Amino acid sequence: MRKKNGYSILLAFTLIFAVFLTGCSYEEPTNSSNGTSDSKTNESASKREEIKVGLDVDAGTMDPRLSKDTTATRVTELVYDGLVYLTANLEAEPALATEWDNSDPTGWIFTLREDVTFHDGEPFTAEDVKYTYDSLIDPDFQAPYASLFEPIESVEVVSEYQVKFNLKDPSAPLLNYMDIGIVPKHIGEKNDTTLSNAPIGTGAYKMVGWDKNSKISFEANEDYWNGAPTTKKLTYFIIPDNSTRVASLESGDIDLVHSPLSPQDIKRLKDNDQFVVEELEGLGFTYLNFNQKHPILADLKVRQAISHLVNKEVISADIYQGMDTPGTSPIIPASWAFDDSIAGFPYDTDRAAELFKEAGWEDTDGDSILDKDGEKLSIILSTHSEDPNRMQAVEYLQNEFTKYGVETEVQTSEWPTFSTALQEGNFDISLVGWLNLIDPDRSFYNPFHTNGGSNYGKYSNPAVDKLVEDGRTALDLEERKSIYQEAAKIVTEEVAYNVLLYQGYIVMHNKNLKGFDPHPRGSLYGLKNAEAIN
Amino acid sequence: MATFILKRFLQLIPVLLGISILVFFLLHLIPGDPALTLLGQDATPEDLERLREIMGLNEPLYIQLLVFLQNLFQADLGMSIFQDTPVINLIAKHLPATLELALIALLIALIIAIPLGIVSAVKQFSWLDYCSMFFAQIGVSMPVFWMGLLLIIGFSVNLNILPSFGRGEPLFEAIGQTIQTGNFYYVMESLKHLILPAFTLGVMSAALITRMVRSAMLEVLKEDYIRTAEAKGVRGIIVIIKHAFRNALIPVVTIIGLQFGNLLGGAIVTETVFAWPGIGRLVITAISQRDFPVVQGCVLMIALIFALINLIVDILYAIINPKIQQV
Amino acid sequence: MELSKQVQPENKTSNLPKRSIPFRELLSLLTKSKSALIGGIFVLIVLFCAIFAPIIATHDPYEMDMSNRLLTPMEDGHILGTDQYGRDLFTRIIYGARVSLEVGLVSVVLAMVIGVTLGLISGYYGGWVDTIIMRIVDIFLSFPVLLLAIALVAALGPGIENVILALGFVYWTNYARIVRANVLSVKEEEYIQAAKTIGSNNFRIIFYNILPNCLAPIVVVATLGLGTAIVSEATLSFLGLGIQPPESSWGWALAFGMKFIREAPHLSIYPGLAIMFTVLGFNLLGDGIRDLTDSKLKRN
Repeated sequence: MRKKNGYSILLAFTLIFAVFLTGCSYEEPTNSSNGTSDSKTNESASKREEIKVGLDVDAGTMDPRLSKDTTATRVTELVYDGLVYLTANLEAEPALATEWDNSDPTGWIFTLREDVTFHDGEPFTAEDVKYTYDSLIDPDFQAPYASLFEPIESVEVVSEYQVKFNLKDPSAPLLNYMDIGIVPKHIGEKNDTTLSNAPIGTGAYKMVGWDKNSKISFEANEDYWNGAPTTKKLTYFIIPDNSTRVASLESGDIDLVHSPLSPQDIKRLKDNDQFVVEELEGLGFTYLNFNQKHPILADLKVRQAISHLVNKEVISADIYQGMDTPGTSPIIPASWAFDDSIAGFPYDTDRAAELFKEAGWEDTDGDSILDKDGEKLSIILSTHSEDPNRMQAVEYLQNEFTKYGVETEVQTSEWPTFSTALQEGNFDISLVGWLNLIDPDRSFYNPFHTNGGSNYGKYSNPAVDKLVEDGRTALDLEERKSIYQEAAKIVTEEVAYNVLLYQGYIVMHNKNLKGFDPHPRGSLYGLKNAEAIN
Repeated sequence: MATFILKRFLQLIPVLLGISILVFFLLHLIPGDPALTLLGQDATPEDLERLREIMGLNEPLYIQLLVFLQNLFQADLGMSIFQDTPVINLIAKHLPATLELALIALLIALIIAIPLGIVSAVKQFSWLDYCSMFFAQIGVSMPVFWMGLLLIIGFSVNLNILPSFGRGEPLFEAIGQTIQTGNFYYVMESLKHLILPAFTLGVMSAALITRMVRSAMLEVLKEDYIRTAEAKGVRGIIVIIKHAFRNALIPVVTIIGLQFGNLLGGAIVTETVFAWPGIGRLVITAISQRDFPVVQGCVLMIALIFALINLIVDILYAIINPKIQQV
Repeated sequence: MELSKQVQPENKTSNLPKRSIPFRELLSLLTKSKSALIGGIFVLIVLFCAIFAPIIATHDPYEMDMSNRLLTPMEDGHILGTDQYGRDLFTRIIYGARVSLEVGLVSVVLAMVIGVTLGLISGYYGGWVDTIIMRIVDIFLSFPVLLLAIALVAALGPGIENVILALGFVYWTNYARIVRANVLSVKEEEYIQAAKTIGSNNFRIIFYNILPNCLAPIVVVATLGLGTAIVSEATLSFLGLGIQPPESSWGWALAFGMKFIREAPHLSIYPGLAIMFTVLGFNLLGDGIRDLTDSKLKRN
């Protein structure tokens, strides 16, 4: 009996399923607003409604005043506008401010654009500017970049569309930092999580969705003061693995990826005419940070000798495949202060041996490791494990150093562990980088000033202190240029840093994506004028 | 039965408490300052100190533990340090994706493993048996991340027939849409995203379950009642399915329960390779950012699910084999 | 039935030998199982490579040559080509056997020591000691193993010793459960009771009378565990939590080689195959031993 029942139930199911099947079809819904934003192709139109970008990490908070990760920055530059916009040549252009008057070096007056509204329809006024900057300089607000705005004493609303910034001292770099997004006061004051999760700005795109660890979606702001974006929809997909991300570009699942990338992927895509690879000078450098308090490395000659053991050409050409170029000083080539007369320390193993000898280090016990007073020349070389290129550079350097008598241990740890060790001065030599150097002040004041916040190696030289202080307050560009070049010479000669590479910035996109202008900062604001064609 | 279930529930409490405490201490052993990862390299030491104070990181460890446990008893998992969102919301957003992935992975594993296991037991020492055992061995000896990337390169880049990353529409919503519209597109799109990660995740379980089914079947096939049935002239296939497999089911059900837990754990790697927005990604990212409340919440949630599945397995067990209840 | 009693059926208590099987006899039995034989040969090959690495290797494992990086197999005298630093890949893999086996063996021994000790104590003394230990086992079991290993390596810092410690610390529960179940099943046997009545101390009874009984299942779990440990080490490497250069395990080589999977697939394929070969060997061996001990049991 039971058996029979079983069969009849099975039969019934088969019948129902068959009926269901006949009533079904398999076709792509034509209306893309149907909820499936993933539709791969849309044959009816040649211009696609959506541009898809692959990014490496998910964003943290999206409040431009608080965000510090790259993805949040990629979001805020679309959703918000600053008072100024930094061009690819790092010059401040009018954005929300139409003009500014800094004839009084400690009282800058900005005139604001009058026809701008936030995405929620509220008008943008001087109050919003005051609110944004007041919170940035408020210590209790905990803005990560508060130190950049430290010269600001107070902000005054002059009229509805005019604000005055009162500065403690004249400040040259400040204007370039003023591209930070202006947040709406009426929402920020509510002090809830709106701005960190669902930002509302004046920018080219409105953020419409955020699936954590998956994607962030945007829609064009049709009322954008600088002209509505060309493409209606824009989506950032979060794809953590470098290889998968590029594979997704190759398979056509996404249209664009940019640095960080694996050098070997760049090479392959350059050879593929389906894709466009754009290589720019980036705004960062990678360097070896020498701990000046380390008993062995405190000796300048030892630092110089080790610097002569670093073959930057090989690291650049082989490990980075030319993506990053050999560096010499903490001024990047993209900067107006760049000085190609600083030679740094060329790869010269004989000179290194001489310097070691002068410093008293010789191999007396025949173990091929240098020693002095019975102590071995032994150092730890550290970096963080998130960046495979840095990992490779460190392994290569370990081999080189050991070959020439410096016993080297490699330590690679996750970024939080590594950066905490840096902050605590708990390292010998570490390989690390600076990004986003829109003004030389960024790579000089905090890293080299005796009291600088990120002077991890505890480098201290009164002459450099004086120079980097002057560099902040001097307003004449030529004067600043000579100040930073002088400082760069000193810190390079004294090996506070050994700048290894100037970072390149690479964008790779499908050749069907047209009209995108890359920005050395990695800004994707240029997508405003881009369109994808099938 | 009811008392049995109740007793098992009560036993869960000390286990979950133990896990909470273990995770708490483990996380505080990990070097790396959450304040620093939050504020970044431009922060001054004073800024860092102030933030540590606000985050309660300067309190003695036992105070932090007590605060954590106190919140836990109020079912409050706290706020994410990085996302400015309650941890429970983050988990609610990521958990369905992982459950969906693990479920489909398990389904794939069963579809592969049960026939293979039965066939190789029935035809013991035949080439079929050797082939399926070879498959089972390969399945457990191949690192998951490697297989995942090879599949992406094969199916997404070279053949370009499956998407290389991410999740489509949630499967159940897609099924709903398909039923509403009668258009298979929705389900297929969802499945297209699922198939590679689910296969990658499921293959190791498939291998283990194949071996399990095979050895359980071999055991049962030797029993007298099977021989009796055969002697009575019942046809082979019916004996196998109706008598043998049914009795072999008990150990198989157990291992399926255990495997589901393994799948949740294995999802960490699979989700990283395939950019699958599940709880594994959430917890890995949280560890790398030292976002402790999120890690604690995720681990507790995974442990809870794991324990619940084990409970269900035990209940099933008791139903299949009523003798156990009396033990 | 409680969580802790759910021994994985693969290691079913009912299948465990009631009487001791001497280890030597077990070895002689190896030749009687095809899978144990094949597995054993695989394992011996790997062991041979590890021990005689300096003789087998064709190059210096640490010698870099950046002008000859990423050579393809058989190019320029490099049997398997060169890696991203121009080191000979064949040599690296031969030497990698040492590191991978070290990770596998030491972590398994560590897990075994922790697990067997706790299992013996738990089973022999019973009562609240048993309850506490089994609750700890439950805690570890409901924790995703990999996640625990990740957290441990993150806490201890990368490096081979810490990877070994972490793996040993997460994989001990199987031993504890098997040993405990065994102890429970033999505890009441006459000869144990007899030993008790003649006044043997607990330590003696545990080590001379009870432990030998558990040897066969422990060997099985350990052999299978070796494979798991080697694969887990690879996974940790993939997540950036592996050993430190210039040493290289296969897992590390595979994880890093994957960054070159498109232009130099040999960098990941050969380390991957080495892992598969070894894990396959240990698994076949473990299965074989289990079959043998089971069938011996049945014959008796």
